[in-house]
Amino acid sequence: MAPQLTLQAPLELPPQDVSDYLGRLWNGGEQDSTSSGAATFSLLVWQPSWIEQHLVRLGRLDGPITGLEREELLQAARQAVPTCGLPLSTSPLAPELAWQLGQLPGDQASEDLRGQHVDPAISLHQPRRLITLAPSLDGHQHLETLVAAYCPLPEDGPASSVCGDVVVMRGGMEALQRGLGMVNPLIPAELPCWVWWNGTLDEAPDLFEGITQAPRRLIIDTAIGTPARALDVLSQRAAAGQAISDLNWYRLSSWRENLAMVFDHPGRRDALAHVVQLDIDVQGHQPVQGLLMAAWIANRLGWSLESSNHCDGDGISASFRRPDGVAVQVRQMPVPVGDPSTHPGSIVGLRLVCRPEHRAPLCVILCGETGGCMRLEAGGMARMELVEQVVTSTIESAQREVSRTLRGGHDSTNPLLAACVPLASRLLPR
Amino acid sequence: MTATLTNPLRVGLRQERVISPQCLVIFGASGDLTHRKLIPALFDLFRQRRLPSEFAVLGCARRPWSDDEFRQKMEAALASKIADDPESWKTFSAGLFYEPVDLQKSDDLVRLGKRLEQIDRQRATRSNRTFYLSVSPAFYGSGCRALAGAGLLADPNRSRVVIEKPFGRDYASAQELNRVVKSCGQENQIFRIDHYLGKETVQNILVMRFANTIFEPIWNRNYIDNVQITAAETVGVEERAGYYETSGALRDMVQNHLTQMLALTAMETPGRYDPEAIRNEKAKVLQAARLADEAEPWNCCVRGQYGPGGNSSDPLAGYRQEPNVDPNSTTETYVAMKLFIDNWRWQGVPFYVRTGKRMPKRMSEVVLTFKEAPVHLFDSSGGGAPGANQLILRIQPNEGADFRFEVKAPGSGMRSRPVDMDFSYDESFGEPSDEGYVRLLADAMLGDPTLFTRSDEVEAAWRLYTPLVELIEQQPWQLPVYPYEASTWGPAASDSLLARDGLLWRRP
Ligand SMILES: NC(=O)c1ccc[n+]([C@@H]2O[C@H](COP(=O)([O-])OP(=O)(O)OC[C@H]3O[C@@H](n4cnc5c(N)ncnc54)[C@H](OP(=O)(O)O)[C@@H]3O)[C@@H](O)[C@H]2O)c1
Repeated sequence: MAPQLTLQAPLELPPQDVSDYLGRLWNGGEQDSTSSGAATFSLLVWQPSWIEQHLVRLGRLDGPITGLEREELLQAARQAVPTCGLPLSTSPLAPELAWQLGQLPGDQASEDLRGQHVDPAISLHQPRRLITLAPSLDGHQHLETLVAAYCPLPEDGPASSVCGDVVVMRGGMEALQRGLGMVNPLIPAELPCWVWWNGTLDEAPDLFEGITQAPRRLIIDTAIGTPARALDVLSQRAAAGQAISDLNWYRLSSWRENLAMVFDHPGRRDALAHVVQLDIDVQGHQPVQGLLMAAWIANRLGWSLESSNHCDGDGISASFRRPDGVAVQVRQMPVPVGDPSTHPGSIVGLRLVCRPEHRAPLCVILCGETGGCMRLEAGGMARMELVEQVVTSTIESAQREVSRTLRGGHDSTNPLLAACVPLASRLLPR
Repeated sequence: MTATLTNPLRVGLRQERVISPQCLVIFGASGDLTHRKLIPALFDLFRQRRLPSEFAVLGCARRPWSDDEFRQKMEAALASKIADDPESWKTFSAGLFYEPVDLQKSDDLVRLGKRLEQIDRQRATRSNRTFYLSVSPAFYGSGCRALAGAGLLADPNRSRVVIEKPFGRDYASAQELNRVVKSCGQENQIFRIDHYLGKETVQNILVMRFANTIFEPIWNRNYIDNVQITAAETVGVEERAGYYETSGALRDMVQNHLTQMLALTAMETPGRYDPEAIRNEKAKVLQAARLADEAEPWNCCVRGQYGPGGNSSDPLAGYRQEPNVDPNSTTETYVAMKLFIDNWRWQGVPFYVRTGKRMPKRMSEVVLTFKEAPVHLFDSSGGGAPGANQLILRIQPNEGADFRFEVKAPGSGMRSRPVDMDFSYDESFGEPSDEGYVRLLADAMLGDPTLFTRSDEVEAAWRLYTPLVELIEQQPWQLPVYPYEASTWGPAASDSLLARDGLLWRRP
């Protein structure tokens, strides 16, 4: 499906006129209910697209800048990784790539269509209002505001005439910060509002605080940015009862489902109470996804954390105690991968060793499709029952991942995530 | 039997299938099913956090209730559940609405459309709608037409219709109803209910068969001698006499529920584990199934009707003595029959199917009797030669499976004991399986059709029993209704049906 452009050419308006204009657009004196726009939700997106902006500026990627996670962007980013002297395991969306690209000279200009190109995965849900905050590379650029009415045309089936609108606020960080006052009044109070922070949580902390307060529902991705900051935001917001979705957590679902499936087998269920060791391999030096997985398992099995430390460079080694008092060793190691996934820190493999009484030990190995599990498969497993499974994970664009979050709609955090985040946070050695 | 442990890693995974914001429109909101099953199931879903925050239920029926009256009636029906959790009821009931609608009046449907738009704005339900026809079967076709006529089914991605059972009275009426329903929307918008089939049941039979590679090689005529499918109820006709008198056990249980169990047990391996692939295989196997003697169905089918029973302190009325039952009624409350499936896998293997009311025990099961023990499955160290080895798939109660093999214990004749392969799915998934309507409502609102019957399946099932339906209607004396005492396993004639093949029904 091709991204859809807004039907109407966006209109550039002075920031102070936007609110009035939108009011007139929908009410225009008519009483007819169909002119009031879709009764769905609003979506506010922080859309820095630093890597895309730099690649275009450097002439490594053709414009316009769209903010969409398109294939050409990922390709150009992968090609840029070695040029910037970064390890080959670096994911094409890693913030360090943006920083390195920022050091290179270049000033290719291009049209900026962020917020105006709407991915069909998003428009499918007919958002009532889509507001995009699009910071530009030039931190001193003044604020521009664009508005357009927008009627998504479904690809199949008859068109329903529910329309929404898009608002784009573009400019340097300072200007955006100053323009923040106009954002809040633009959000329809009667409809749910999601905020998708499509960048690292390390940047623009004031702006982040300014737009992400409850009851807005927050969508973040803890795979990018500083692990401590990501886990802190996740645990604080979940603890405060705000609905927060972490795309990094949702990417774990096939791992969790596969692991649960191994133990659906009645003959193996008892083994779960006798886990002695858990090893997780993750791609590169971004531990959060692995820690969330470890924390979920520990939380489900009732282990209590005793200590967590760095080991072997960037590895993490933790000790837990099972409810029956027996110790469990957990080790997470960063491993280099030849063909890194789009998302930093994706789990590559997992091994769980159980030593039930009165029966052979059990070793469960889950392996990602692309990365090998050689390290986990090596040694020490003679005389164990071995269960090996390949975990298929579909790589989806960020827009599709967000689309799945928007399709549901809950005003609180997933309880499993909420339960394991504090533990994941404590697992991170500080 | 060994104690089974839960799987803690399963807990909560079910909640991750998220239902989209939507309005569930229940036609028949003042009826029995709504307050007894639907609203309690929805409240359970709400408390399990499985409903979206943007959600509404719009009750519809002819009587002129207000939103508040509807809430009060539902509150009264749910009193005991609410007492446990009054806070949840407060939030949940704020999403209950009512609109008087007569499905036969087009003006009412136009008004309904407006009300739905209003609810969309009030509850942000995004124009997603599930219409649940909990009205008399006479309205299934006209109800769909009325909805389509008002444009309420126009968007196939945002509107669905759930149709209660029974779907048709026979092959011809099912075909006709399908024709009407299909003219109103696409097949993927239509959810035909067989409410006895819980998702877990389907999954369990499939998992048992296809995930356990040990079974697939022996799941055929080379290894299986016969298959018995039983669904027994302890209750009598209760308050449903009006409906039951026109239906009987064949229509009420065999055509839908038992036939679904038969299809799941006998179907070929679906290429993919997806709803359409499964439904393709189910439809195919039903098309290959037939009564053991289609020309003279009385040779392969037995009907029964419960008479009085119980004891002096707790007497049980016979069917003909139940309120609203014709004292000379010939409606069957029990039916047993023998079927064959004409395909490579099952050629010559008899399938015996039985169901009845006022049986000694409430249970549903599928029993596969093996010709002889596949050596690797059973260990006969218990002594003696292995006899009839059976794999029993329990559907209810305690969904699960067990193997039984007969070992001759010294001096005590034949006695059966279960081997250590028994397990209960209820517990294996870490959480109790959903009550039927909880699952059905969740799946319909998720748009997952696995549990619902596709048009070709419904028709194949009716076609299968056509010779019986016709015989009962045209020459009922050919298929007499034998009386049986309440709380027994049916008339003696049904034992003869198996005795002719040298077999016995399994006594659960
Ligand atoms: N109850 C069960 O346990 C059960 C089990 C299996 C299947 N079912 C199926 O579920 C369906 C409903 O069963 P039920 O027992 O709830 O029936 P019921 O108690 O007789 O209820 C029928 C409902 O339909 C409404 N109604 C009648 N005519 C209408 C019209 N023209 N327009 C709109 N609404 C109309 C009635 O309300 P007004 O009089 O106010 O209009 C009432 O709410 C039936 O198809 C039945 O076969 C029920």
